[in-house]
Amino acid sequence: MNIKNVSQMPVAEGKSVQQTVELLTRKLEVLGAEKQGTFCVDCETYHTAASTLGSQGQTGKLMYVMHNSEYPLSCFALFENGPCLIADTNFDVLMVKLKGFFQSAKASKIETRGTRYQYCDFLVKVGTVTMGPSARGISVEVEYGPCVVASDCWSLLLEFLQSFLGSHTPGAPAVFGSRHDTVYGPADTMVQYMELFNKIRKQQQVPVAGIR
Amino acid sequence: MAGPLSVGVNLEAFSQAIGAIQALRSSVSRVFDCLGDGLRNRETLEGREKAFIARFRDNLHSVHRDLHELERLSNLVCKPLENHPLHNSGLLSLDPAQDKTPLYSQLLQAYKWSSKLQCHAGLAAGLLNQQSLKRSANQMGAPAKRRPKAQPTMLLLPPQYVDDVISRIDRMFPEMSIQLSRPNGTSAMLLVTLGKVLKAIVVLRSLFIDRTIVKGYNENVYTEGGKLDIWSKSNYQVFRKVTDHATTALLHYQLPQMPHVVVRSFMTWLRSYIKLFQAPCQRCGKFLWDGLPPTWRDFRTLEAFHDTCRQ
Repeated sequence: MNIKNVSQMPVAEGKSVQQTVELLTRKLEVLGAEKQGTFCVDCETYHTAASTLGSQGQTGKLMYVMHNSEYPLSCFALFENGPCLIADTNFDVLMVKLKGFFQSAKASKIETRGTRYQYCDFLVKVGTVTMGPSARGISVEVEYGPCVVASDCWSLLLEFLQSFLGSHTPGAPAVFGSRHDTVYGPADTMVQYMELFNKIRKQQQVPVAGIR
Repeated sequence: MAGPLSVGVNLEAFSQAIGAIQALRSSVSRVFDCLGDGLRNRETLEGREKAFIARFRDNLHSVHRDLHELERLSNLVCKPLENHPLHNSGLLSLDPAQDKTPLYSQLLQAYKWSSKLQCHAGLAAGLLNQQSLKRSANQMGAPAKRRPKAQPTMLLLPPQYVDDVISRIDRMFPEMSIQLSRPNGTSAMLLVTLGKVLKAIVVLRSLFIDRTIVKGYNENVYTEGGKLDIWSKSNYQVFRKVTDHATTALLHYQLPQMPHVVVRSFMTWLRSYIKLFQAPCQRCGKFLWDGLPPTWRDFRTLEAFHDTCRQ
């Protein structure tokens, strides 16, 4: 599996999300990256139905059902800090049948859409994160195809990120540090997207100018 | 095994067997003659077909009979002795008709000539090594007199020896696994898996490396038929670059007298790619140049460099 790093790009001061995305893509094009189609990742939140909760007063866990256009035939179901299930796209139909156990949270759908760029063996995906009608932030995913062990190529990825994100480079995501020798899989990417979406959701109360 | 006592018996069986072979050949050719003639002119089509089938059947029966006879005789004939020092070619010396077929003396001449050629080639290689024409490193060959006297090595090494050399190299490097297979006759093909970084396909001719292809750890190295795919290139630029460098290394590590040393040095060099994505360039200190990590490894020091930083 290809190593991917998903991070959030802060919106520049005094600029809109759209303008910042344009700035970023122009930087990539100057670097020599080529446009290569589009991508889309979406996420829906489900919470455990009240009727199935135990009497001990435990709180329901949140479950996230996600799709990624890179894996068009799969559907990912994740718990926070929990296991990740990779299923066929039919899983969506199953979720409708499981209404009694998992209920879709209203207006929780969050997604990111944007353009893919290819630069040598790197694949960069810059997307606008939208929740309902409003744009909330920018996601930057960098994929490095040749490498399969995340901790091996973190410094290399970091250098690449610095070349077009400048000072806004992120810290290493948990996936890159924790497990040393395991092969990176699609689930690791989806966990990163889930964390990014959660971060952006929490920021929604903050006034737009303060988004970081 | 045929001792001197049983030679007489054997010779008789031999002559009978040769007679049986001749009989078999003539009956087989009769079958083809009959097929070639086809249907002869007769009044009715049915008559023609019947006669043809009857003749054909008779001929096939005689082939069958002759073949049985030959099989019976072949059991009587023992295998010739195999422990002759020159193997099967030694049997040529037993041929009494020297004047008509001087094969054995010609063979000896050819053998002498080829070992002389080998010797001269070895000396020439030693001399050329001192005049290093190599662009990438100024490696001087060790002084010729310190090298052990060159044995005339055979180009065709026994497969067992190749297996031994490869399995010894396999044991030398724990992070490198080598799978040996022989899909096409005696030439071996190696699938080298280096950690979780890359896979390399190495095609050997005897113990000389002919070709190498480097691919990613997650790339498919087999064709649809399940054989090793030695032609298609990697999808990733970085491994295409490494393939180019590996081919350069093949040309660099040359020591005609000791092919096993060449294979070992090549593998040692290849092993340095275990840090392909982790080692920064030793000259510029960066990881990326033009989107590629440091793909070049120095032949002596095994240090990592970018292709453009190595001079």
